[in-house]
Amino acid sequence: MDIYKKWFWILLAPAILLFFLVIIFPFIVGLLNSFLAWRGTYYFDPETGIRAQSMFSSFIGFENYTNAFKDERFIRALVYTIQYTFVAVVVVNIVGLGLALLVTKAQKGASLFRTVFFLPNMLGGLALGFIWQFIFQIVFTNLLFSPDGLLHIPFLRYMTQDSTKALFALVILNAWQFGGYMMIIYIAGLNNISRDYYEAASIDGATPIRTFRSITVPMLMPSFTVVFFLTLSNSFKLLDQNIALTDGEFNTRLLAMQILRTVKDTAPPDYGKAQAQAVIFFLLVASITLTQVYVTKKRELEL
Amino acid sequence: MAYQSRESVAVTGDTNYFLKKKIKLGITYVVLILIALYTLAPLWFLFTNSFKGQADIIRDPLGPPQSFSFSYILNAISQIHFFRSLIITFLITFFSVGLIVTISSLGAWMLVRNKTKWSQVIFMAFVAAMLIPFQAIMYPLIQFFETLGLKNAPGLVLMYGGFGLSMSIFLYHGFVKGVPKGIEEAGIIDGCNIFQLFYHIVLPLLSSITVTVIVLNSMWIWNDYLLPFLVVGNSNTKTLVLELYFARILAGQFGNPWELIFPAVLVTIVPIVIIFLFLQKYIVKGITDGAIKS
Repeated sequence: MDIYKKWFWILLAPAILLFFLVIIFPFIVGLLNSFLAWRGTYYFDPETGIRAQSMFSSFIGFENYTNAFKDERFIRALVYTIQYTFVAVVVVNIVGLGLALLVTKAQKGASLFRTVFFLPNMLGGLALGFIWQFIFQIVFTNLLFSPDGLLHIPFLRYMTQDSTKALFALVILNAWQFGGYMMIIYIAGLNNISRDYYEAASIDGATPIRTFRSITVPMLMPSFTVVFFLTLSNSFKLLDQNIALTDGEFNTRLLAMQILRTVKDTAPPDYGKAQAQAVIFFLLVASITLTQVYVTKKRELEL
Repeated sequence: MAYQSRESVAVTGDTNYFLKKKIKLGITYVVLILIALYTLAPLWFLFTNSFKGQADIIRDPLGPPQSFSFSYILNAISQIHFFRSLIITFLITFFSVGLIVTISSLGAWMLVRNKTKWSQVIFMAFVAAMLIPFQAIMYPLIQFFETLGLKNAPGLVLMYGGFGLSMSIFLYHGFVKGVPKGIEEAGIIDGCNIFQLFYHIVLPLLSSITVTVIVLNSMWIWNDYLLPFLVVGNSNTKTLVLELYFARILAGQFGNPWELIFPAVLVTIVPIVIIFLFLQKYIVKGITDGAIKS
């Protein structure tokens, strides 16, 4: 008698039940509701103009989707999110790798530096966003980069009050916060590279740049996969920092906030439209992450 | 003579080499220290401005406080109901993580040990669900839990349990695969029942991945804003993050009340900083393992 077979369904039941209640069921309802005139607490019947008798009479086909694409705010949030993600992925990766290379070079105190760089990661996005809002609004604007400050750089002043500047403000904040996390992953990758390769390279007289390009980068490919995956999905789904820094003012809404605020923009709250945006968001996140994992995995194998 | 001169050349060459290396290392340290200062600067602003009034903060945001006053901190503590929200946050995190660890370790263990078509399908479903962003399910989820009478703190724990499952089962699954079945078989022969087997034999073997699961889930749940915002909202079971958010919203109608925000942020992050400094070995290890395995 196989004890595992006997207990399989019983011990797996809590996980499956919770998974179904919290993820699968709401996900399916969400897909359905994106085709209905859903108002949150009730379904609207476009034929009679009142509350629908059944869910089916509330069916409006792709209207929520066409409404979403007609919504200027949604389109703007979509473009803004893609722009932000692009810049953030590049910057956070460079910062993370740079920190990892520096920390692994240090002999004494490496763990102290690692702790300091990692610390911001432990703190919540909302709390950090408030601190950085202060930095951008007061420290950058009035002190460091004002006409009689350290350096006069107009671009770095009033960063939370302009759509383009706020994008870079978000990048600065997130590079500061997530750089240490990515550093940890890169350090683990760097420590996995055998010393022998570097010794062989130095015997062959390779320059440091050549060594970096021909040994470090290819051997780090698995870490790149992980870091790209994490930064890509983090940036795409970013919400807390966005709320804390600008709260979506000056056209700085990212998609996550746009979906959250759609029900406040409309009266009565148009949950159907918000849900359609959420489904589009899901399709985007899923396809981007799948493509990214596929491409980097393939490159990993080729090397 | 010839031998001697050759040696002296070699020696000067070596000192040059070591000097160069030392300079390089020195530059590395200077850069590292500068970046560390940059990393810590916002936390310094946070600290120093938590003891100043609004006018002082705007006039001199970088310097130490003129007069050291705890009144702003005490005010923030009462405004965000610090002790109440700290306990609520702790309980929610504790029970959610406990739930996640228990059911995902049991589930993953069963999925690995009983290899059938079903176990593969179920595992794939858990993994595929990692692609679903929270936004895609939040509205139906909240509505559904409201009809169940669970739009409250216990409901929040259940929701976290569900959201934490996918990644945790994935991590446990990968780990259990590497644990030899022989030890468990010995236990079965000795007459262990399934719970004794799990609790006394399997769980201790899984302890290192359990650390990872606990770290990753606690960090996320403790700092989460959106789910508590949707579920408990502005009620009297607010978490720390939520208290901070509503304090900011309420006071922020009249400009930015930095003399409240700074001390409020400070007291909400102090518990995490303390925990981090004590457990950082495990936290860093947990993050690294989690990232490499996923």
